[in-house]
Amino acid sequence: MYQNKHSIFLIILLGFIIHKYYCKEQTYEHKPNKPLRFHVAEFNFDHVSDVYAITLWILLGSLAKIGFHLSHRLTEKFPESCLLIILGLIVGGLLYVTHLTEQKAYVLNSDTFFLFLLPPIILEAGYFMPNRPFFDNLGTILLLAIVNTLFNTICIGLTLWGFQFTPLYGGTQFEMLPCLVFAALISAVDPVAVLATFSEIHVNDMLYIVVFGESLLNDAVSVVLYRMFASFANIGQPNIIVMDIVLGCLSFFVVALGGVLIGIIFGVIGCFTTKFTEHTPVLEPLIVLVYAYLAYLTSEMVSVSGILAITFCGMVMKQYVSFNISKKSDATTEYVLKMLSSIMETIIFMFMGLSTVSDSHSWNTGFVFMTILLCLVFRVIGIAIFANIANCWRLLELTRIDMLIMSYGGLRGAIAFALALVLDEAKIARKKEFVTATIAVVFFTVFIQGITIGPLVKLLNVRRKQIEEPTMSAKLTNRMMDHVMTCLEEISGSGGSNSLRDRVRNLDRNYFKRWLLREPPDRKDIKLLQTFKKINTLTAMRVHDTARGLVPSASTATVQQGIPEHHHLRSHSAYGNVSELIAANLPENTVPDLMSYENHEGEHHHNDAEMHHFLDTNLYSARPRAAIHLRNQDETGSSDDGTHARFEKSYHHRDQRYLPTRLERELPHGPKTISKTIHNANRPIGLTNSSPKHTRSPPTTHQQPNPRSRSRSIAAHQHSPIPSGQRTKSISKDSRISPLASTHIENEGTGRTAAERSRPWRHLSITEETGASSSKTANIPLANGNDPNLHHIPLTVADFGGTYTKSPEYMGEYATTTKPEEPSSRPDVRDIFNKQSEDVSEQQDDGSTESITRL
Amino acid sequence: MGSNASIMLQQEDLQNICQQTGFTGKQVQRLYSRFKLLDKRDCGYLTREDLLIIPEVNINPLGERLIDVIMEDYGENNQINFKQFMYLLAKFRQGKIKSSITNYNTRESKLRFLFDMYDRNHDMKIDRTELLDVLKMMVGGNIHEDQIATIADHTIGELDKDGDKSITFEEFCKTLERIDADDKMSMKFLS
Repeated sequence: MYQNKHSIFLIILLGFIIHKYYCKEQTYEHKPNKPLRFHVAEFNFDHVSDVYAITLWILLGSLAKIGFHLSHRLTEKFPESCLLIILGLIVGGLLYVTHLTEQKAYVLNSDTFFLFLLPPIILEAGYFMPNRPFFDNLGTILLLAIVNTLFNTICIGLTLWGFQFTPLYGGTQFEMLPCLVFAALISAVDPVAVLATFSEIHVNDMLYIVVFGESLLNDAVSVVLYRMFASFANIGQPNIIVMDIVLGCLSFFVVALGGVLIGIIFGVIGCFTTKFTEHTPVLEPLIVLVYAYLAYLTSEMVSVSGILAITFCGMVMKQYVSFNISKKSDATTEYVLKMLSSIMETIIFMFMGLSTVSDSHSWNTGFVFMTILLCLVFRVIGIAIFANIANCWRLLELTRIDMLIMSYGGLRGAIAFALALVLDEAKIARKKEFVTATIAVVFFTVFIQGITIGPLVKLLNVRRKQIEEPTMSAKLTNRMMDHVMTCLEEISGSGGSNSLRDRVRNLDRNYFKRWLLREPPDRKDIKLLQTFKKINTLTAMRVHDTARGLVPSASTATVQQGIPEHHHLRSHSAYGNVSELIAANLPENTVPDLMSYENHEGEHHHNDAEMHHFLDTNLYSARPRAAIHLRNQDETGSSDDGTHARFEKSYHHRDQRYLPTRLERELPHGPKTISKTIHNANRPIGLTNSSPKHTRSPPTTHQQPNPRSRSRSIAAHQHSPIPSGQRTKSISKDSRISPLASTHIENEGTGRTAAERSRPWRHLSITEETGASSSKTANIPLANGNDPNLHHIPLTVADFGGTYTKSPEYMGEYATTTKPEEPSSRPDVRDIFNKQSEDVSEQQDDGSTESITRL
Repeated sequence: MGSNASIMLQQEDLQNICQQTGFTGKQVQRLYSRFKLLDKRDCGYLTREDLLIIPEVNINPLGERLIDVIMEDYGENNQINFKQFMYLLAKFRQGKIKSSITNYNTRESKLRFLFDMYDRNHDMKIDRTELLDVLKMMVGGNIHEDQIATIADHTIGELDKDGDKSITFEEFCKTLERIDADDKMSMKFLS
């Protein structure tokens, strides 16, 4: 509760700051000479002008982005950043002609840039940082980021200054310190530009992370150098004493380590806060954003590197927050981050083009060309030197081609531009030249290098990033390799990074996870299990696609025959979880429609979205079915073929009859539904429980007209939008024929929310069992219609056990394997599960209902 | 101790090992001193206990399995002498550059080592039981057997192409094509 208030307070504070910042020029004037009369409507542009302009910018940026991607030919040839800059140039030209440029909202202002535009991009980069490659390459990254940037700055600065003694600059004088200031801002590789370019060319992870990591971490160096040289320029060259230089070097450590520290502190606090947000899940994404932003602002306030702070804040949070917050919040956070960073990036590039068109330029051909040339040359030299040094300890050595791409990928961007804009013209006389040269370099790198790097990568045959689906075997073997290598390193006494990683992992498991997670990890390998869960979800998605798009026909049925038998093993006994059930009945090589879009980024997010989507679309059919088929199902088909047939039919049947038109329209467009699922965020609680049953239940409507009409009536009166809480109850009401079934459904429904997000696995086990048992209970009354023998059997836990172990298929499963003792151990298993599910459901009862009402 | 150890290693042995494994002389000497360090009783071979005493190996979930593999496949009678020890480690040299590849550190031999981690009965197939054993070691005791079994089934389903419910070495290699096993199964030997 305290955190709740805390964050609300923060929002208000933020709102206030934004308000103050943007709206201070608001005026409410009345003309005194006119008599006051009532106006029906007033035109009041001044009142909204600034915010209006900003909103229009965002809209323009989004529309531009959408527009570019409509044309494949355009985006294939040119990176998005180039197109945006061109658009900015065009708009800037228009504004310049119409003299609107004087207005504040139309130029890139370095405060706006550093306070609003930059942080979301960096946060996104930090949050989605591939940790493993980052830390594997940390040594190289640090070397490049620190030493290489320093080397570049000094070399570029001194060479530029040196050339003033030649007639190259046409007689314009440049002093040494301003040259160094300029070199400091121009030699840092820009994360925004690198991100924009590299996300389109898909080089391998290692190469990407080395360049991108360098661009992120060199911020500390460039900030320090920039500030140091700028203040030296203020002090004046003759007055500098050695002490200043020593302090300058010292300030590097303060800036870098301070930024990292602040980031980690805020990250940890953020994680700790999410430990208590169980009852206010709507605020969870906000917590992540606000703490990260606060980390950035705080470090800017104490003038340490904000970029480092927000990067590390994001990295820390990602590690723990996603375990704490609900799945929906997790998806929302990721989506909001992606959205913000994408729009900010768009705006930055657009504004760069825009701000180029202005009067404050001073073109000095010699200086501009020297700058571009020196940037290129020293980048190549620097990389060649330091990459070779790094190769001495690197396991995977950087090849010549890697080095070439690394030096070619050294793009400069908006940060340099914004820094150039804040130069003080009173102290640095050549500001205009510097700004022009910066723009020239940025345009050169973004246009020439940005456009050609893609073909170059192709030409040189650089190893591309493989878009891999998570496979269980890959994850397992990967993990095994880690373990084996750690051991062997220890045995051979090499003590490399493998054992260091293990030590960090132990620390993480023993301390951080314990303090920061709601549910301390009681397992050895969460990641392994996560992968498994992810795969399950994915597979479920695919089935759903086939079931929806092309209703499984004879052809898919034949494919299903082909898959190994163990896939069907449990379909009659223990499937409770939707995805698991479906995964089992799934042809492995169905067409992954939904997965084909934008598969290089945000995979995680899509999985979530699809999960919701999947559940969402199943909702409408599930409810009526749960009610109707409880009575009328005939449990005859027990062979594998039967399952398939049932599965097909149930889907077919659902599509024809229960799928509301709204959903039908939306289904073909995967991504669209994301917004909808977020909007419906509280719904899946109610859905999940019903899905297993409708997929399992054989369609009877074709044979029996009577129940069909009944089902329709129930369906009709339940189609009215009901909040999820009631929905769960309505199911239990409908299925009151078997009270036990209804309680199980309830258990599952309520037990899901919290258990799911904190302990995905244990939760799976719960649903597996409760789901299985509820479907059992569902099946028994269903069978009643045809089988009088089953009519009066009281439904107890023992009963489930009976069907469980008696099932011939089930025995078959274990008969084929070498574990004959398994069946006897089953009853215990069930008891454990049942107990667990009851416990959990009891615990979660209050919590989940509360969260529903709040939502 | 280091200087002592290098004296004890015969010159021709050293050359022999260098030639076969591709290690440099310095690397061999360094590893020899490490070997002597592990060999607490100074008897010229390492036993299971010698390896298990290393803290990292001791707590590693796959430590014991790894020692099984080392002792059974590379040593004999639960002992491993220095030469065998070197043959074992030679598998994990980097094999990126053509000239550094011997017949020990090919990609296949590295994968084979991984495969052997599963396949303890040497029938060139990973069957369900073997997979389950490894899985249990890796995920720990808190997860229910049912779930582990499901994971195992799923994994086999992923890899198994010919439907015999076990994973052959070819199937194993095929799915690991996309993983850079070569890099990951290599380590840097200090010289």
